[in-house]
Formats: sequence, C-alpha cells, structure tokens
Amino acid sequence: MLKISATIAKELLLLLRDRTGLLVLFLMPAILVVVITLVQENVMELTGQNKTLVLLLDQDQGELGSLLRKQLDAGNLELVVWDEKRHDSADLQAAVAGGEYQIGIVIPKGASSRFLEETERLFQQDNGTEKPKNIVTTSLRLFVDPGIMAGLRAGVTAQLQMSLTTIALEAKLAMLSRTLQGTLGTLGVPLDRTPLDGDKLPALFRQPMLNLTEDPGASRAAGGLAPYNPVQQNVPAWALFGMFFTAIPIAGSILQERRSGISIRLAALPVSLLVLFAGKAVAYIGVCLCQFLLIVLIGTFLFPHIGLPCFTISMHLTAVLLTVLLSSLAACGFGIFLGVACNSYEQASTLGATTVVAAAALGGVMVPVYAMPHAMQRLSIISPLNWGLTAFQDLLLRGYALPAILDNLGRLLLFFALTVLLSWKISRLRQ
Amino acid sequence: MGETASMKPGNASLPEAGLHCALSARALVKRYKNSDHPALHDFNLDVQPGEFFGLLGPNGAGKTTAISILTGLFPPDSGVVRVMGMLFREKQNEIKQILGLVPQNIGLYDKLTAQENLAFFGKLFGISGKRLAERIQQSLVFARLTEHALQSVATFSTGMKRRLNLAVGLLNAPRVLVLDEPCVGIDAQSRHLIHAQLKNLNQRGTTILYTTHYIEEAQELCSRIGIIDNGRIVKEGTPAALLQQSGLANLEELFLHLTGKELRDS
Repeated sequence: MLKISATIAKELLLLLRDRTGLLVLFLMPAILVVVITLVQENVMELTGQNKTLVLLLDQDQGELGSLLRKQLDAGNLELVVWDEKRHDSADLQAAVAGGEYQIGIVIPKGASSRFLEETERLFQQDNGTEKPKNIVTTSLRLFVDPGIMAGLRAGVTAQLQMSLTTIALEAKLAMLSRTLQGTLGTLGVPLDRTPLDGDKLPALFRQPMLNLTEDPGASRAAGGLAPYNPVQQNVPAWALFGMFFTAIPIAGSILQERRSGISIRLAALPVSLLVLFAGKAVAYIGVCLCQFLLIVLIGTFLFPHIGLPCFTISMHLTAVLLTVLLSSLAACGFGIFLGVACNSYEQASTLGATTVVAAAALGGVMVPVYAMPHAMQRLSIISPLNWGLTAFQDLLLRGYALPAILDNLGRLLLFFALTVLLSWKISRLRQ
Repeated sequence: MGETASMKPGNASLPEAGLHCALSARALVKRYKNSDHPALHDFNLDVQPGEFFGLLGPNGAGKTTAISILTGLFPPDSGVVRVMGMLFREKQNEIKQILGLVPQNIGLYDKLTAQENLAFFGKLFGISGKRLAERIQQSLVFARLTEHALQSVATFSTGMKRRLNLAVGLLNAPRVLVLDEPCVGIDAQSRHLIHAQLKNLNQRGTTILYTTHYIEEAQELCSRIGIIDNGRIVKEGTPAALLQQSGLANLEELFLHLTGKELRDS
C-alpha cells in the first residue's frame, strides 16, 4: 500500500504542478460540451425536434387569420405575427430566406371574404351537378427556409395543410348546417335536439374520435426521466471523451520517465511495474471523476442559463458512478498502453488523439449510433467509448438499472485488464 | 531475473562462484537484437565486500550493459549474478533492498522538490514514517542540499542534480552501491564533494562499483580497477599493480595500450 500511495501522491503532485496541462484536461471537455450542445440544439431546430418558428403576415385582417392562428397555436409551431402596416411580403420572404424563421405565411388582402363567399357559393349550386363549377380556391402564400431539412419541410407543410383543411371543413359544415336548417325548416321538420340545431355540427366535428397514444413503456421519457434532448446525450458523451483524453498525459508521464532515465531507477527499485501502473491509474481516475463532475455541474447549473435544457441525472447514482469509474479505468489502461508502446511523446499524442477521436466518432459521441450507416453501427461495438456511452444512455435516458449495463461495464473492465497486461508484457520485452 | 546457469567448460562450479563476494558475475553473455557482436561475452567480475572497484572502458565496451545486468535492470542471455552471495534470479527483491544504483542519467522528477523526490523513492524502498524523515534529512545533508530541500529540481544546477541523484541512490543505506558515471558534466566543486562523500561511504563499509571515463578519477578513488573492452574484462588489479605489471608510466597509457587508439564512436 505504501508504494501505491507514494505513486498516487507523486502523480497528483506532478499533475498539480502542470497547471496548463491540468487546465486543458478540464477546459477541453467543458468547452466541447457547451459548444456541441448549443450547435446540436440548432440542429434539432432544423430537424423539427424543437418548436418551429412560423412567421405570419395577415394582410387580410379577417376571419381566416384568427382561425389559422387558433389552429397553429395548438400544434408544435411557434407563431410570430407581424404587423401588416409595418411589413410587407418581401420583408417576410427575406426573414425566412435568412433563416430567422423556418416558415412564413402571408394571408393576402380579401382572402377571408373570398373564402367565405366561395364556400357559400359551393352550396348554392345546382344540386344535379356532380362537380362544383367555377369555385375559386383561396390561396395563402407559403415561404420555407431553404436551410431546413426535407423531413421537417414535409412535416410542417402537411401540418399547415391540415390546419387549412380543418378550417375549410368547419366552414363547409357550418354552411351545410345552415342550408339543411333552411331546407328542413321550410318542410316543417323539427330540429330541436338534433345535430342540426344551431351551430352544433362544427363543434361535433371537432370532437376527436380516433387518436394515437404513445406507450410510456417504450418511450425515451419512461420512468419519469427527462425527455431526450442534446443535453442528456452530450453531458455523458463529452465527459467520456474528456476522460479518454487523459490517456495522452498518462502516456506522456510514462514517456517522460523513460526519457529522463527515471524508469531505469524505478526498474532497480524493489517495486513491481504493476504497482507503478496501479498508482498512475488511481491518480488519473481521480482526474476523470473530477472531469465528469465538472461536466455534470455545467449541464445542471450553466445550461439553463444559456437557453439549454437542464441535465437530469438518473436516480441510479451508484450505477452511474460505477460507469464513470470503469470508463476511467479503461481510459487509464489505454494511456498506460500508449505510453509503453510509443517511443516518443509526439508519437503518443498523435496516435492517442487520433484514436480517441476515431473511437468517439465510432462510439456515438459525435453522431448517435442509430444515425450511422448500418456497417458503422455494427463496427461501433468495438469502441470502448460506445460501451461507456451506451451504459450512460441506458441509465440516463432509458431509465434502466445496474443489471442492464453489466455487459458494457464488463467490457470496460476487460479492456483495462487487457491493456495493462499488454503494457506489462511490452515493458518486459523492451527490457 | 532470467539468468541461466549454462556452463562453459571450466566453469563447473559456476552456481557456487562468488558466494563470498559483495558483487559477482560469472560468464555473463548479452547479445542485443540487430547487433553482430555481443555486448557482453564471458564477462566475469568479483567485487569483494568493502572494496571500491572502478570499471573503466571506452564507449561501447559494455560498461552500461554490465551495470544494467548487475543491478537487475534486465537479465543476461546466460551467466550468473550474485549480490552478497544471493542469486539475482532467486532473491531479486531482497537484493534490490540492499543495492543502490546511481544511474548515468539524472533520474529525478523535475517538477518535484528535492524533498518530494527523496520521499517518493524512499517509500518505494518501503521506508516510511520517522525512519523516512531521518533518511531524507541524512540524504540532504550528504548532498549538501538541506537549504534547497523545498526547491523544485528544475531550478537546480547540474551539480546539484548530480548530488541529489547520488543521494537518492543512498536512501536505502545500500550495502552495495553501483554508480554509472556519476560526475559527468559537473563543476569541480560538486565533483570534489561527491568524491569525498563516496570515500567516506566506502570507509564506513559500503562496497562500491564505479564506472567512469575519467582515468584520473578512477585512480584517485578506486582500490581496484577493471578495464573492460569488447564485452569482457581485459585487465584488473590495484592501480599500482597494474602500472607495475605493464611497465607504463600512467594508467591512461595502459588504458590506450589495452583498448587501442582508434576512436570509439558507437
């Protein structure tokens, strides 16, 4: 124990004396998690996972505008209404083309009266005619931000079209109701207590009869956890990325010992190489834990102040801590292997950075695994960052408990054991 | 250690050889990969308890390889090493407790203070508490660095680093001390202090094996000298006896006579 604790104390002292290196270790994942989350929040806007901004310019100021507003307010669209006296359709077009709003709608002057007149005319035509004749469709002008993705464009357009169809159908039902009331009234048919009494028909039409209900058992929002958002994905993902980047300073410390001749002195001392590795690993696990804590604090306290959702940690705190611990162990094992296998710091830093970035990309840190091509999804299972991230996602997003993540924790532990064993073997061969 | 007791003709008693020596090597052979010539070939050495033995040799003669094997840094391809009668391959940890190594490179952590370096290496010897504090204090006094104990090693001069390098090698109060060119690149004052302290240590019973390029240094310090070339000891004896046998005026002439005047650039 004395030898391990001496090694831990020495490593921590060396880390504390290298303030720039230490700052980079904490600053790098902190900056990445903030920047990437902000960027992805914007991507979610483009993909429609956030409310889409719709700009409305009502030049008509009639019934159609108020009906449309009522329809859109109920959906996933955030409506902004411009004053028609201060802006024209060219202003709206420029605002949408510039990406300020995703959708722009202009209700032209006279649209409401034309719509109502044409609806009325529809029911005044010759009853023997199969198809309505000379009915003019009232058109609203639609502008779409060219930067939004095709899926969102189709979704929003469908939602708008559905709103207009509902407005038109309600108007038709109201007109039908009035027409029938007039016809049946002249025939002396009593309409009391029937759907044709008063304006009941459109109200009955609005009553939902069929619906889709999401099963909470399969939902990402299951178990009372926060719904999926880039914060829940990015906080553990970039904390893991930072933790695996500690491999480079670990490798650096081993190479520095080799370069300065300290390793010769250490080899002549009555201390096992595994004890020296263990001391290094424990010291850097402390660094990884602090990194994770920092990123969690950023997600919890800073994010709400910069317009991002707050990070919510799962109630399985022991399982989360175990995942952090085993991910740190895997990162330390990789660092030790890198330090032993490489011949210079330049080699270790280049190889280490490239490997960690590639493993992060493959592991789903940058792009979720489900969004990757099929072949890459199958390959992602070889990345230790994927094992850590999947375990975090199971705990933080899917609400699972410890037994569900044991396979990935086992992989992380095995990776640590293999890298240390390989490092020990290489060190012996180097001698 | 991975020594083998592969015996050559005439070395029938090899495993028992050197039982009473402080440091003994028998028939050591070491060949590096990608090298045509062995670094050590039939290397034999006996250093008696309390002796100050100097190992002299040109570049590439095999000094560092010999020291590395004698201190357990790596095993020989064949041959046997004993320290205080114990076989290295059997009693590695026990031997490392009584053996001190002062490597040629200054093996110290630059960002730690002198005291922190001593504390770390002391603990790796298994020393702790009051005993460690005493050893650290003694080492600092020995290296005349007491006033600089809390100073980072990065701020030290080469002489100070060399003195601390030596002090770390003495933390376990070794019975056998092996020094690989401990005075390279330092000023006369530091060299003088190191020499004086080593003589003092030797007088108090520490066996010393000392390698150097400086012949006058070996002549000043060592009770016996071995000249190594091409991986084996080619001559050994007291400085006076070596000169008497050779009939040459000084050790440098003897050294050049034995190892040749060609430049050794590798």
